[in-house]
Amino acid sequence: MSLMHTLKVGRLARKLEEILKVPQHAFGYPLLKPAGLTSRVREGLIHLCPVGAFTEREGIFSLDLARCVGCGRCALAYPEAVGEMRSLEVAVTRKEDLVQRVDLERGGFLDPGPPSSPRTELRLPTLAFREVSVGDTGLADSKVALLGNPFNDMGRFGFQVVASPRHADALLVTGPVSRNVAEALRRTYEAMPEPKGVVAVGNEAISGGVFAGSPQVLSGVDQVVPVDVYVPGDPPRPGAILHGLMLLVGRVTQRLVGGVLR
Amino acid sequence: MEALREGRPVALFPYGDRVLLWVERPEGQKGALGLTEAFLLGERRRFPSLAAEFPALDWFERALWERGFEPVGHPGLKPLRRHDLPYTFREFPLLHEVPVGPVHAGIIEPGHFRFSVLGERIVHLEIRLGYQHRGLLSLMPGKGAEAALLLVERAGSEPVAHAMAFAEAWERALGWEAPPRAQYLRRAALELERAFGHLGHLAGLFTDIGYAYGATQVGRIRALLQGELDRLTGHRYGRNFLRVGGVWREGQPDLEAIAAYREELARLLPRLLKNPQVLDRMRYVGVVRKAEALALGFVGPTARASGVGRDLRQDDPLYPDFTAVVRQGGDVLSRAQVYAEESLKALDYALFFLRHLPAGPLALDPPPGEGEALARVEAGRGEVVWFVRVEAGKEVMAEGVDPSFKNWRALELAVRGEGLPDFPLCNKSFDLSYAGSDL
Repeated sequence: MSLMHTLKVGRLARKLEEILKVPQHAFGYPLLKPAGLTSRVREGLIHLCPVGAFTEREGIFSLDLARCVGCGRCALAYPEAVGEMRSLEVAVTRKEDLVQRVDLERGGFLDPGPPSSPRTELRLPTLAFREVSVGDTGLADSKVALLGNPFNDMGRFGFQVVASPRHADALLVTGPVSRNVAEALRRTYEAMPEPKGVVAVGNEAISGGVFAGSPQVLSGVDQVVPVDVYVPGDPPRPGAILHGLMLLVGRVTQRLVGGVLR
Repeated sequence: MEALREGRPVALFPYGDRVLLWVERPEGQKGALGLTEAFLLGERRRFPSLAAEFPALDWFERALWERGFEPVGHPGLKPLRRHDLPYTFREFPLLHEVPVGPVHAGIIEPGHFRFSVLGERIVHLEIRLGYQHRGLLSLMPGKGAEAALLLVERAGSEPVAHAMAFAEAWERALGWEAPPRAQYLRRAALELERAFGHLGHLAGLFTDIGYAYGATQVGRIRALLQGELDRLTGHRYGRNFLRVGGVWREGQPDLEAIAAYREELARLLPRLLKNPQVLDRMRYVGVVRKAEALALGFVGPTARASGVGRDLRQDDPLYPDFTAVVRQGGDVLSRAQVYAEESLKALDYALFFLRHLPAGPLALDPPPGEGEALARVEAGRGEVVWFVRVEAGKEVMAEGVDPSFKNWRALELAVRGEGLPDFPLCNKSFDLSYAGSDL
């Protein structure tokens, strides 16, 4: 390791490009292959998926990345129909960009059009954020905490955690929003000064995940406070959360459009 | 309740209109921990309260009360998880009250702490949880094995232990066992999860006393170990790995790397825990006495750091020469020492299981049938309990207990008489799961 390299990235800190990649040994995010979606395969996929991420309606077959728990069984069973995306640049500003829709007649992905970029007043050189867990098992929280470890070291990108919402530019929220904590979430949001952004971290925060439909949860952060950026994953890797933060401050552009990396 | 006086309560579950009490046989001879006895109590949703004599059952009875049962004669009923029922904190007229939470300053789950203080001294702490209540148990009935495991893996922050207890309960209900290779792989994942969790507690403790060197070193090895858990199970926290009947996959963790991390930790941890700054801040702080641990039914490292030598693994025939790690001090330092020693042992056992994998399939489909069973697994924080009733390939009844549910009151006791600024340190020394307790 050269001295220059060590000075630039430290001894442990990984380069941004590395952080934003799915590690070699792990399964990435699933990606439909329109050509392989025969009727037998589609039926198999719908039957196989433990969380019901695959659905078919009126000639359109879809895969909802916000439901996927990343078990990878679909790609193992039907490699001709499901591949994987190996990038963690998956944060989006619209929920519909997390759903892959394949027009079965045309045999191609539907394009929902260009996404809106996040609000310009949030284009900050550094960003202080406050994390709030609202029904999360503690694992997505732990992922946010891992952003600060020596490998990811988010401080060098200008991101830091602050103890009070009064000092925060953004709120990172994890969990499906249990009914009992919804009021605390709303008040935390109100305690923040303007301009303020919200990042929903993880599938549970996006739409409730496996808890969707429970009478004790509200199934999504955007049911309580407005959300600027959604980060899919169960829980998302630190790299994906970092991408979400960078998308919020306008340092990167959204790559996932209509569920497909572009 | 002769059985309760000799042994200790494991769980209290609703069972139709009655309640089911599980009691562990007295500690002592080998094989005793694995044995549990069940007693059916009460009728028509009323049962005699045992909480006054056995405070370990207090929270169980409060949880049942919220679900429409009546513990007759309970000394002080108030809600636990439900926030739609009125709740009053115990009042101390001449003391100052400090409310903390539900949203905390760190990256941590929500919960409310009400301190009654005299100056800086904590006289009394009352913990109110329920903020993380997602209605998990009410979603369980009628689910197939795969769908049920998705929920079970989200019950607390130790997915492998929860999934293992649930799968074992299901298999036992059908009078069946997973193939040997799966048994070894499950335990390897469980031990990696334990080491990962324990090192997290240690790194958190070092952070809380401002010992950045310790926090960084432990945090680094912990992150690398998480990579090995990821390689083995396909998930950074070991989700989607276990199934009823075995395991889904078998990854290739780097055994030499794990052995190297273990050696590094063996050199590092004893040194860190002898640092004067560590001794000064952790020794004699946050004491839980053995008598308290026994009476309130604390489990896991919390109990073992207070001199209660029980660990479910000592009765697991697959663990060769297992002895529980026990410390007598009951303070923050004792808990840190238990975490340190157990994380080394966990890596030893993970390596043992991975190096001695028996031949055979990863999973088999259990036979059809019906039945019910209880299974317990020693997770990082203590025993995880799942009770399942299976009929026609679906569970019609499932009840689970996370170790944190049994340990929260240890924190209430530990901070009594301590200074308010020592609370975060005491809290981190237990590092309990809020979601596991609230379910």
